[in-house]
Amino acid sequence: MERTGYAPTTRTIRTLVERSPRPRTLLDSIRDFLAQSPLNVVGVFLIAVFLFLAAFGSLLAPHDPIQPNVAVKLQPPSSTYWFGTDELGRDILSRVMSGAKYSLGVAFIILSIAVLVGTFVGLIAGYAGGIIDELLMRLTDLFLAFPALVLAMAIAATLGRTLENTVIALTAVYWPWYARLVRGQVLWLKEREFVEAARAIGASPLRILGRHILPNTLAVIIVQLTLDVGYAVLATSGLSFIGLGAQPPTPEWGTMIAGARTFFRQAWWYITFPGLALTLTVLGFNLLGDGLRDFLDPRTRRR
Amino acid sequence: MIVQLIVRRLFFLVFVLLGLSLITFVLSHVVPRDPARIIAGPRASPEAVEKIRKEYGLDQPLWRQYVRYLNGLIRFDFGKSLTSRRPVAEDLARYLPATLELALYAMLFAVAVGIPLGVLSAVRRNSLLDLFGRTISILGLSIPSFWLALILQFFLFAQLGLLPDGQRLPVGVREPPRVTGLFTVDALLAGNFSLFLLALKHLLMPSLVLGLAALAIVTRMVRSGMLEVLGQDYIRTARAKGLQPHVVIWRHALKNALLPAVTVIGLQFGLLLGGAVLVEIIFSWPGIGRYAFQAIQNFDYNAVISVTLVIGAAYVLVNLLVDIIYVLLDPRIRVT
Repeated sequence: MERTGYAPTTRTIRTLVERSPRPRTLLDSIRDFLAQSPLNVVGVFLIAVFLFLAAFGSLLAPHDPIQPNVAVKLQPPSSTYWFGTDELGRDILSRVMSGAKYSLGVAFIILSIAVLVGTFVGLIAGYAGGIIDELLMRLTDLFLAFPALVLAMAIAATLGRTLENTVIALTAVYWPWYARLVRGQVLWLKEREFVEAARAIGASPLRILGRHILPNTLAVIIVQLTLDVGYAVLATSGLSFIGLGAQPPTPEWGTMIAGARTFFRQAWWYITFPGLALTLTVLGFNLLGDGLRDFLDPRTRRR
Repeated sequence: MIVQLIVRRLFFLVFVLLGLSLITFVLSHVVPRDPARIIAGPRASPEAVEKIRKEYGLDQPLWRQYVRYLNGLIRFDFGKSLTSRRPVAEDLARYLPATLELALYAMLFAVAVGIPLGVLSAVRRNSLLDLFGRTISILGLSIPSFWLALILQFFLFAQLGLLPDGQRLPVGVREPPRVTGLFTVDALLAGNFSLFLLALKHLLMPSLVLGLAALAIVTRMVRSGMLEVLGQDYIRTARAKGLQPHVVIWRHALKNALLPAVTVIGLQFGLLLGGAVLVEIIFSWPGIGRYAFQAIQNFDYNAVISVTLVIGAAYVLVNLLVDIIYVLLDPRIRVT
């Protein structure tokens, strides 16, 4: 319509109507996302596999993942034990399958709390501004002043060596990132016209934050969240590896790798499969996170 | 302007360090075990425990204890290791150079490989090399370092015998006379080139494993920065002037593409210090990471918390340095 200023003719209106697509559904978005890059498909596939294992892995495991059976210790992969057995004769495939729920479950809990707390703090800091903002942001600075793994290590070490304490430690490490992220978004959004408009018609701060600002920060949060699942899974298994998280005989992947360390020269399968599961899980989330970032933010499409 | 900025950052540094000490202090007081009991040992009488409580000031109100703790920190007094009974500061001084050397070489690896790889990846976009660069930048962040370390140890040491499986030098080889505490530097200073090579050989596997995640991030940052810069007008102008392509890419484009990467690269160094814990354990590397690990095993909270504090402080300092470098590099900030 180069002749602006003229009222649109019926013809242009008709073409506009015909061209305007039907409302996009979630399914459309998912299809577009998968079509964008084969890597996105790989990421979604990997995540689906490991989510499935997290839900049903222990049920479907062919052998008992905990019960020792010393008669078959350190067996190489065979038709009975696809991934071989460990030093107590436990089936490694069963242990890897049962392990998914620890890594993913822990990551899920950590990040849920971190996102809730971080978003809450970020919304308040960004919207309130002034002294409240200053105080809250300096608080996040403190937590961000430590490399994540080191702070988590100190917290987990002082609280005691359990998986629950690993959750506490990693949550303490992750929430400030979300507070920062959300605050930045709020600062940018709250000057926008649609927020000003909402304020002008007398919407309460709560409504503005909940209805107008929060929904617009979701995309950024989701991308960050997806990328962080990978980090959280790695951090959890890393802490377990040094003996701070899950304790044996829990079939957590990091704990298994720690156990395999002593035997890796005589039993390559023992260390290979838990590590592979760990790598593929993290890879899945990294691929999805990268894909989502490109998909949701056209500005970074070239990256 | 620069001075003002640096002064402001230094103020902030003091604040952060105070905060760090507060966090570590709080941590040392949520310990579920009675510190006096740990020091006294499990079989000490209640009187002996009380005596130690007095001696270490553990019976005083919390704020007094904090002031005391701060007072110590200012003089680099981190208290005594609860197990070795040596001052923690002494242990840290002994183990820190090993960690620094490891982190430096890891960083060197990440930058020396990551920058060229990122540049070439961007210049020959969608080529085989680009595919390789992008694979590295995703896989490097996905492979758990402790697992990769064990796998490499299996192949490069146990199977092929190419590289040593750990330690800074073979057992029985004398360390170079200590100047910096970095073996490669000290060996060169002593003019002992074969010792330098030996130390380098020991550094190779651990620093590669430690640096992989940083390599991934550097490659990605440089690649995306280059892609952005290469599309800009001044690059077209430079090309139109007939400048050699490599001059345009390596001098004109890279300079501007690196700017945003500097901050990220700086942050990596702090993360390397953190990641060193896992790598040091596997390669029996006598740094503060392994020291912290052993302290955890022995419930030596004082040592664990001191390591946390030191790494936190190092992290903050490095970030300050990076900020200053950034300001010096970016003329736009200098004038405003």
